[in-house]
Amino acid sequence: MAEEKGLSSDDLKAISDRIFRLSNADQCRVNINSGWRGYTRVATNRITSAGGADATYINITSVFGKRVASVRTNSFEDDALLAAVRRSEAMARLAPESPEYVDELNLQSYQDNQAYYESTGTLEAITRAEAAAIAIRQAEAAGQIAASYMDVRAGTRSVATSKGVYGSHSSTGVAYTLTSRTRDGLQSGWAGDEANDWNNIESQRIADDAVVKCRDWRKTALDPGEYTVILEPTAVGMLMLRMMNSFNQRTADEGRSYFSKAGGGNRIGEKLFDDRINIYSDPAYPDAETSPFNSSGQPIIRQDWIRSGTVEDLARSRFWAGQLDQEPLPAPSNLIMQGGNDSLEEMIASTKRGVLLTRFWYIRGLNPRIMSYTGLTRDGTFLIEDGKITRPVTNFRFNQSLVEMLQNIEMIGSSVRVAASENSSVSTPIVVPTLKVSSFNLSSVSDAI
Amino acid sequence: MMHLPVPQNHRGSTSMTGAPLQLPHDIPRRDFLRLSAAVVAAGILLPSTKPVAAQSMTSSERELLLHAIDVARSTGAQYADGRIIRTQFEAIGAREQMITQVQSTDSFGINVRALVGGSWGFSATQVLTRDAVAAMAREAVAIATANNEVAPSDTVLAQVDVFPDADWITPHTVDPFDVSLEDKAALLLRINEEALRVNNIRFSNSSILSVKEERLLATSEGSVIRQTLMRINPSINITAISPDGSDFQTRGAVVEPAGRGYEYIRGLELASSAEGWAEEAAMKLEAPSVEPGKWDLVLHPSNLWLTIHESIGHPTELDRALGFEANYAGTSFIYPPIDVINKLRLGPDFLQFVGNRTEFGGCATTGWDDEGVPAEIWPIIEDGLFVDYQTTREQADWISQYTGITRSHGCSYGQNWESMPFQRMPNVSMLPGENDLSEDDVIANTDRGILVEGRGSYSIDQQRYNIQFAGQVFWEIRNGRKYRMLRDVAYVGRTPEFWNALDTIGGPSTYYLGASFGDAKGQPIQVNAVSHGCPISLFRDIDIINTA
Repeated sequence: MAEEKGLSSDDLKAISDRIFRLSNADQCRVNINSGWRGYTRVATNRITSAGGADATYINITSVFGKRVASVRTNSFEDDALLAAVRRSEAMARLAPESPEYVDELNLQSYQDNQAYYESTGTLEAITRAEAAAIAIRQAEAAGQIAASYMDVRAGTRSVATSKGVYGSHSSTGVAYTLTSRTRDGLQSGWAGDEANDWNNIESQRIADDAVVKCRDWRKTALDPGEYTVILEPTAVGMLMLRMMNSFNQRTADEGRSYFSKAGGGNRIGEKLFDDRINIYSDPAYPDAETSPFNSSGQPIIRQDWIRSGTVEDLARSRFWAGQLDQEPLPAPSNLIMQGGNDSLEEMIASTKRGVLLTRFWYIRGLNPRIMSYTGLTRDGTFLIEDGKITRPVTNFRFNQSLVEMLQNIEMIGSSVRVAASENSSVSTPIVVPTLKVSSFNLSSVSDAI
Repeated sequence: MMHLPVPQNHRGSTSMTGAPLQLPHDIPRRDFLRLSAAVVAAGILLPSTKPVAAQSMTSSERELLLHAIDVARSTGAQYADGRIIRTQFEAIGAREQMITQVQSTDSFGINVRALVGGSWGFSATQVLTRDAVAAMAREAVAIATANNEVAPSDTVLAQVDVFPDADWITPHTVDPFDVSLEDKAALLLRINEEALRVNNIRFSNSSILSVKEERLLATSEGSVIRQTLMRINPSINITAISPDGSDFQTRGAVVEPAGRGYEYIRGLELASSAEGWAEEAAMKLEAPSVEPGKWDLVLHPSNLWLTIHESIGHPTELDRALGFEANYAGTSFIYPPIDVINKLRLGPDFLQFVGNRTEFGGCATTGWDDEGVPAEIWPIIEDGLFVDYQTTREQADWISQYTGITRSHGCSYGQNWESMPFQRMPNVSMLPGENDLSEDDVIANTDRGILVEGRGSYSIDQQRYNIQFAGQVFWEIRNGRKYRMLRDVAYVGRTPEFWNALDTIGGPSTYYLGASFGDAKGQPIQVNAVSHGCPISLFRDIDIINTA
């Protein structure tokens, strides 16, 4: 087996121990991220940039009483490390007390989830260029222009505290996305994959799908309004990535969230969504594996957030849990929405009039009390009439409450990992199904293609 | 020579040390000269002093960088450039009466970019030894060679003057990294204390982020340029909760980031202003919700700058217009160059926009860009007509036949040592009117309008047509006067029609510089810090929606 990218777990442990020996603080925590990132980017049917870098970042948190400060550095020669430790201590001594600081954790145990795939860790520039060339050739053959991006990461992260925590976890990730446009700029199509394992990236299918979605039939106008929509998994994932942040008990208890109860408290235990909505996180989910610990060293395990439409639980920091005399619950590190049995073909066939959406752009929050967002459709928006896709249509801006969306579910497809970040970097793993939603507010036309 | 007005939010303290601001190379248009005369008459002049602060890059670092360039050239690159970059961040944050974050980051490394045939390769390392740097340079050449074999392309670099020993430092009086954490913490806690005095204010978050970039650039053409860039970002966000817990409203984005030292923070009077911002948050709980429909819109520069960023700044990036960002940030409605340069009307004939890497206080203000091109100022929209894009050295050639300009406008930037430079937005600013209309004068020009202050939720499509922008505070204007606060306002429209609805602009006294540290572009995504100056402006008959 090829050597893993970045420093080894043993190296990270040795650096952490060196820091603890240098430390004069009451408590100390060391977080290290060590790894490699490579990328290849295509535009105008040529490779416009490609490169890579190895980097190791060490974050040292020093604590005196309740005075806390952190220093992050990428130098780990003896002198530099000593300087960073002393600087974090000097800053901590100067800092006012943090009343919400909770002592560092002691020894924890973490589940072992294999998330490092050698196929990804050994992905060379020439292999990335060859995948890019498949898309360039496919687009050229169809008279189109390809723009693509492949983002690859491999490395190890660790957490250690002066009170006995040590955890390390190696992982890889790769995201590959392609936008193909007609030469006159009047049509655009997109496809993409994200995975921990390079073997699960389907370069040929991505080229086929993006080029087909971009095929040269003319867009026509469609009036804005409320439509039945079929959201492809990428579109669902881009919205669910936002929803993840709202699974927070403190903002709910403080009256600043959809999950706030009128008059105080939160809505844990209330049924708020369609019966078929099940949302959970699981750091061991196949090909969406994440670290089994967070940056403070808390173990992360499988956790239900929404079960059969009911709010199962919300994340609580150690401080907030202590205030309430409850167990802390770390925030999710990935998000899985349980799939159903409906196929895309069945969803289209059962739609009298509706719109199929590929992905979104520029999603921004509007009203957190109803979890509403705005954003735009992009790179594949099609009209469905009488059970068939009949034509591509102009793009739309949407203004939509995610709560209402999850209450208006008609059909659910099988779940897949998607490239959910707008910039197509490897991001928080999101595994979601295709959804058919009875009503979705496409509020105005966008002339963008 | 020309000077823009000192922005109204930068007049607190303007004495400083540091390099002189770069002055434009070309004689600007007569409109600019008239403006300049008005400003000089008002006695507002930019300081111009010699550099005094020491820069930290050493001679051994210079040798290492030149070694990397030599290795790249000797292993097959016809052109190479490289950078040693040290970036420091310091963040301190407070929530109510406690400090929630004290974090400093120090990142140091070297990179090289190599051109083989027409293809680029890039590599970077944090190991600053001769061997590691040589391996990095060979890697960059190998990547460029592989790319050029798989997909060959042509690249022509615009001519640039050589600067073999150049220096530039952000003009400043107080290095933010020399101000103690205690001072910063005390300021934040006072701001929160003042905000929390107001009825129904339950939460107040405040923070200060300081950034220092020390950059040494070398090119195989012989330029060696040392620069120190400083930026600072004060941030305050205040939350009001209704007594029965059924509603909450926030007031944020109250002040702007800037490319300046800590004297900028001291000139803002944050603590004494916090109570006023908190009162606005509390008032929002009681304010009536807006009636949707057509309204005249008066955009305060604290809101308008982000509209400029989104609807003028981004679509005039040449790489975006030509499809280089198609897979992420999108393309542009200002396209193709042959049909739009000197032809596309984007507003009334008093509308002027410049790209400006020399703007005082600007976050994208610099001495030279990441390809050694000196900072400059140039017109982007002249008399309402689109005339030029933002460019780098390889891009200048793509449109020179339409613009007549063969040199780069100096818009290359990579966010840190790990990142390959590419075209990034300069400060793109809208010039104030020649008549020095005040804010009240502009408001007096409408009988039924809405004044918008502060940036809110912003969203625009990937060709920059469909806008939906909100703000922080909204005031109904009746019969030429501010009448009452409104809430739940967003303005929507299509960019060309929106700018052509511009009716009245304020004068130099209303000129204000808004900014963001978070201008995102590229894959891998990189962030750029950028400012936009503008006067208060009145737009006629704009569609307003209710976001409640």
